[in-house]
Amino acid sequence: MDFAWSEEQLSYKESAIHFAQQELREGIIEDDLYEKFPKERWQKCAEFGVLGLPFPEKYGGAEADLLTTMLVMEGLGYGGKDNGLLFSINAQMWAVQHPIQEFGTIEQQEKYLPDLITGKIIGAHGISEPVSGSDAYSMHTSAKKCDGGYLLNGSKTFVTNAPIADLSLVFAMTAPEKGSWGISAFLIETGTAGFSLSKKIDKMGLRTAPMGEIILQDCFVPEENRLGAENIGAHIFNNSMEWERACILGAHIGAMERQLETSVSYARTRKQFKQPIGKFQSISNRLAEMKIRLETARLLLYKTAWLKNEGKPAKMEAAMAKLYLSEVFTASSLDAIRIHGGYGYTSEFEVERDMRDAIGGVLYSGTSDIQRNIIARYLGV
Amino acid sequence: MKILVAIKQVIDHHVAIQVKLDNTGVETNNVKMSINPFDEIALEAAIRLQESGIASEVIVVSIGEKPIQTTLRSALAMGADRALLIQTDVETQPLAVAKLLQAVVAQENPQLVLLGKQAIDDDSHQTGQMLAALLNWGQGTNASQIILKDDEVQVTREIDTGLEIISLSLPAVITTDLRLNNPRYIKLPNIMKAKKKPLTILAAEELDVDITPRLQTCKVELPLRRKTGIKVENINELITKLQTEAKVI
Ligand SMILES: Cc1cc2nc3c(=O)[nH]c(=O)nc-3n(C[C@H](O)[C@H](O)[C@H](O)COP(=O)(O)OP(=O)(O)OC[C@H]3O[C@@H](n4cnc5c(N)ncnc54)[C@H](O)[C@@H]3O)c2cc1C
Repeated sequence: MDFAWSEEQLSYKESAIHFAQQELREGIIEDDLYEKFPKERWQKCAEFGVLGLPFPEKYGGAEADLLTTMLVMEGLGYGGKDNGLLFSINAQMWAVQHPIQEFGTIEQQEKYLPDLITGKIIGAHGISEPVSGSDAYSMHTSAKKCDGGYLLNGSKTFVTNAPIADLSLVFAMTAPEKGSWGISAFLIETGTAGFSLSKKIDKMGLRTAPMGEIILQDCFVPEENRLGAENIGAHIFNNSMEWERACILGAHIGAMERQLETSVSYARTRKQFKQPIGKFQSISNRLAEMKIRLETARLLLYKTAWLKNEGKPAKMEAAMAKLYLSEVFTASSLDAIRIHGGYGYTSEFEVERDMRDAIGGVLYSGTSDIQRNIIARYLGV
Repeated sequence: MKILVAIKQVIDHHVAIQVKLDNTGVETNNVKMSINPFDEIALEAAIRLQESGIASEVIVVSIGEKPIQTTLRSALAMGADRALLIQTDVETQPLAVAKLLQAVVAQENPQLVLLGKQAIDDDSHQTGQMLAALLNWGQGTNASQIILKDDEVQVTREIDTGLEIISLSLPAVITTDLRLNNPRYIKLPNIMKAKKKPLTILAAEELDVDITPRLQTCKVELPLRRKTGIKVENINELITKLQTEAKVI
């Protein structure tokens, strides 16, 4: 790893913090409680330039490098408090926009990227099915070739953004006999006949990020809406997962820093047994662990982003970053609750929500077990 | 109408100030610097005047060493059209700054100069007034509202007894107070765009102004730490303590 932050990169982070402090802090308790998607905050993020950050200027992006993009995510996670919204946004950026940019035709890019970037439309990415999760390629959804396109049948579940999506990137079997070499990717607009979105799935955390199911019943998708060549779906999926694993948790680094600052200030002011609780080693040791987790996670994230920026392979690093960031965010969130005692358990203090949000991270984009499998595979076991 | 906004780079207001070990000043090495908050408000006011079609150009100017370019770039990203850096490593004090700004005004011919009412580092609260005097222009300090009509500007000032509304003819100098506006955040693509906006660097000597410091700093120290107070049980105890211990009554 060989870089130092430039003044310009730091100014990106600073304006992200400034923006998030003003726009992404209020009303989260209620939105979390009622599982409300914060459309207004999404729109503000789009106008602020988050969704287009690393994307081409011609599509409304800012062409920022990946390290700058990660710094901005960190700033948003630090300045704001809506982990769910940032997760939703990142899911669209890395698992919808990015594959379109990398594998889409010029027509597909021109049609969808500008609208995704300005917030006019929202995108979802569906691969998981009721019976195929970690073993994603054992999917049942099929796409049968027909005149001018494909007929899709099947269902997708756990799909982030599905209840509010205008566009879904869906994977289906075009050649089931070929296994993972027989999967293709399709871009389907909401409103297409035979395509429906179920009501949202109620869940533990990331409650401002709506999740739902996609149902496909003889859904006709024209040939021009296939993303990439036929049967390269697994390649597209792997590629987008590498990006997603590398980047989706960037905002959590900022959240961990915010959480640490809150915990330190609580430890200095809350008194028990006539002294600030921070004077007890049980508390200060926990704070020290939280700091070490934060800084090590940062380095892993930056290293992965730097490798990808340089165009170097980073599959193993992405898996390590995904695994480590999600696990330490979970561990530190629990520590933050312990430090805050009973107050940390109440929703008013906004400490417990991080814990619920953090747990999603050890599951989506491949569970921690699956990340370990990937790391082991690259180690040659 | 052209507006000139003077901005100063100061230690960020979130930073806990550290005094240098030799008591010659405060530590600025490795410390986060930002635009002086009152100047940011001045810049926001100027940008809003431009957006409403009243101002045609917003120029930002700052005085100091090269690194303050970063602050000027932020000002450009916020919405200023171009920036001017007057470079000097001399410690610039209010009168010197006012004289340099006077020279810039002579070159640029703005109709309005906006400044923060004070900088949060030395809290001098003098530059705007000195500049107005040097230029022989009207001044409206501590503005909490600015209304421009034709060649007049109406300034609402926050003073001890309430609000004072004054009317100035242009050109004029206005310094801004906290409640004038809430500065916008910089949108991300604007940071990239700001790189393409002109930033001119001028050596202070070129302006032919005497900027020799006139004030001498003897010593910089942290204020004494306030002793923790005590709680008294009742009024009688309070009165006794004020009489016998504090000896104030
Ligand atoms: C918040 C959230 C958002 C999501 N968003 C999306 C989305 O947008 N689109 C989408 O398609 N999906 C999404 N998912 C689904 C997610 O990708 C799956 O939940 C995940 O891949 C795991 O699949 P599963 O839930 O079926 O668990 P399973 O695969 O059934 O796993 C159950 C358990 O078995 C373990 N296990 C399984 N296989 C192995 C193995 N080979 N080695 C070791 N352990 C193993 C797992 O680690 C886990 O502990 C999301 C999930 C969450 C929680």
